Amino acid sequence: MTELVVTCRGVEKTFKTGAHEVRALRGVDLEIGPGEFVALVGPSGSGKTTLLNLLGALDRPTRGELVVLGQRLGMLSKRARADMRLRSIGFVFQAYNLVPVLTAVENVEFVLELQGMSGRARRARAIQTLEELGLGDVLHRRPRELSGGQQQRVAVARAVASRPRLVLADEPTANLDGENAEILMHLMRDLRDRYGMTYLFSTHDARVVTHAVRVVTLVDGRVASDVAKPEELPHEIVPGVGKPPERAAVT
Amino acid sequence: MGVTARYAFRSVGRNIRRSLLSILGIAIGCALALTIESMNRGRDELFARVGAESGTGHLRVVPAGWEAQRDVRLRLADWRHDLEAARQLPGVTIATPRARAQVLLAMGTHTVPVELTGVDPEAEPRAFRFVRNVTQGRYLRAGDHDAMVVGKAVAERLDATVGDEILATCVGRGGRIESTMLQIVGVIATGNDEADAGISQVTLADIEQLADRAGAGEITIVVANWRHTDALRAELAPRVAATDEVVTWAQLAPDLRGHISQDQATSRFVSGIMIVIVVLGVASAQLAAVLDRRRELAVLAALGAGTWRLARIMIEEALILGLIGAAIGLAIGLPIVWYLAHTGLDLRSLMGGSWSFEGMIIEPIIYGDFGPWILPYVLVVAIGATLIASLYPAWFTARTDPAIALRAAP
Repeated sequence: MTELVVTCRGVEKTFKTGAHEVRALRGVDLEIGPGEFVALVGPSGSGKTTLLNLLGALDRPTRGELVVLGQRLGMLSKRARADMRLRSIGFVFQAYNLVPVLTAVENVEFVLELQGMSGRARRARAIQTLEELGLGDVLHRRPRELSGGQQQRVAVARAVASRPRLVLADEPTANLDGENAEILMHLMRDLRDRYGMTYLFSTHDARVVTHAVRVVTLVDGRVASDVAKPEELPHEIVPGVGKPPERAAVT
Repeated sequence: MGVTARYAFRSVGRNIRRSLLSILGIAIGCALALTIESMNRGRDELFARVGAESGTGHLRVVPAGWEAQRDVRLRLADWRHDLEAARQLPGVTIATPRARAQVLLAMGTHTVPVELTGVDPEAEPRAFRFVRNVTQGRYLRAGDHDAMVVGKAVAERLDATVGDEILATCVGRGGRIESTMLQIVGVIATGNDEADAGISQVTLADIEQLADRAGAGEITIVVANWRHTDALRAELAPRVAATDEVVTWAQLAPDLRGHISQDQATSRFVSGIMIVIVVLGVASAQLAAVLDRRRELAVLAALGAGTWRLARIMIEEALILGLIGAAIGLAIGLPIVWYLAHTGLDLRSLMGGSWSFEGMIIEPIIYGDFGPWILPYVLVVAIGATLIASLYPAWFTARTDPAIALRAAP
């Protein structure tokens, strides 16, 4: 039996803001297998980012069991979680979050250096990854000299250069125009096919959802639907995708 | 250079005004600390040299029990052997024998109690610079008999001058009163009454005869580098006669040693305060840099940069500031220290012509010390200060919550 990449059972997350408690996740059950290309959709405040934070070992669940790549994240120390992020999980952020004082290739190299890869090997890997993402001619440009689409591709290169088993992306196309969003999704799927990585990305973008092979919908901190085909997604969740609302089967 | 180091280096240039102010603070702090340390060392050297040349010497061979009793009647077990051993020791500039006696000088109706010192006329002026200032007559010569030089203050109290005969009386062996007539051959004026009052010298042979005690009571030694005093003492101690002892100037003049230590402590306290101010300034600038880049550092944490790696980035940035600050501090401080070492700090307007301490005349111009200690000193101050300054920002950085990277607005 193939080992699951992600297993969530009854995962809850509560934030305390002053005297108030915000229940961001209210019992999420989810399983993701190797090589899946999963979109996480839902309205603002539904808990998408919180779930990505938990899966990315950035935060701990308040309750429930969370297993990523065979590790119970709730049991790991801060150091072990940092090591897991470094070696097994890649992140793509909505706002690119590239280091402005480093060039494109240095941004990618940074993570490889953290992993302890030697100078020449990491430079070669960084260049190879950037070239695979069509950035061979902007290797030595700093982020401010790149377009939004190029910056996000550098961010993807940084996330995948170390060949992590799980790539998490938080609204990766939110700041991109349609054409660049399409290019990025094609590239991410291509990398998934080439290296067998598992992708989970949150999005509001209908064009992006159509690229997913599985769509998980979060509403009010719970999984409202989990469908294998985007066209089966309830229309009101991501306008422009799926069947009319009256025919949707929301679980 | 690794990517992390490049990141740290380029981050220093992000807010150039803030970095320049930090560097300037470090540089000025280093230059001031360097100047204070140079003057501190120069003043120590001055005190040690003045103390040594004022007759104390850097080292002294004394009879057993002298340190406890300070009895001028004590004599060395084998002063010629001790003198030879001292003169053969590398690093010794001059070694001279002395014998002392408490004597009452009298001329007419005037009497003055003095500590009469028997000396080697050829070696003494090289060990005791005051006796070079003969203003009337001449200094003692080898072979002189019943000849004496006195300080101007002694001559004035006796109302005597060159050529006058003085009756010298002291208690000899067995309590006998011994007397002899001494002719003043020279008067010494140092410019300081306290110092002048302590000068009454005859030849070693004359004092042996007057006090009825053979031999020398001490061998006074001046060394080339006063900082080597302790090492030379350790080297000389086993070479002198078995019952004789070697003591240092710090033991001979504990008040002077205490004064120097007190001055050192005060200067280093002032330097310490300056360095603390620099540390706080740099820490504040570093913390502001961390707060400006909180999201970026959170992204690095989210990508897997651990606590130590994040802290290291801050420490590396601080080290870069420290090294540049040290270089500029050296560029500012070196000419100042060089000037002070060559021209000196003239305190005549504050102290007058001279300043005496415990019978020593302190020169009113203090010279700084310019030596190979400067580079390591500046590096230690600059790097030490910036490392300490980076500790809190580094700790703050290491605690970065990586979830901020995903939670915060773009």
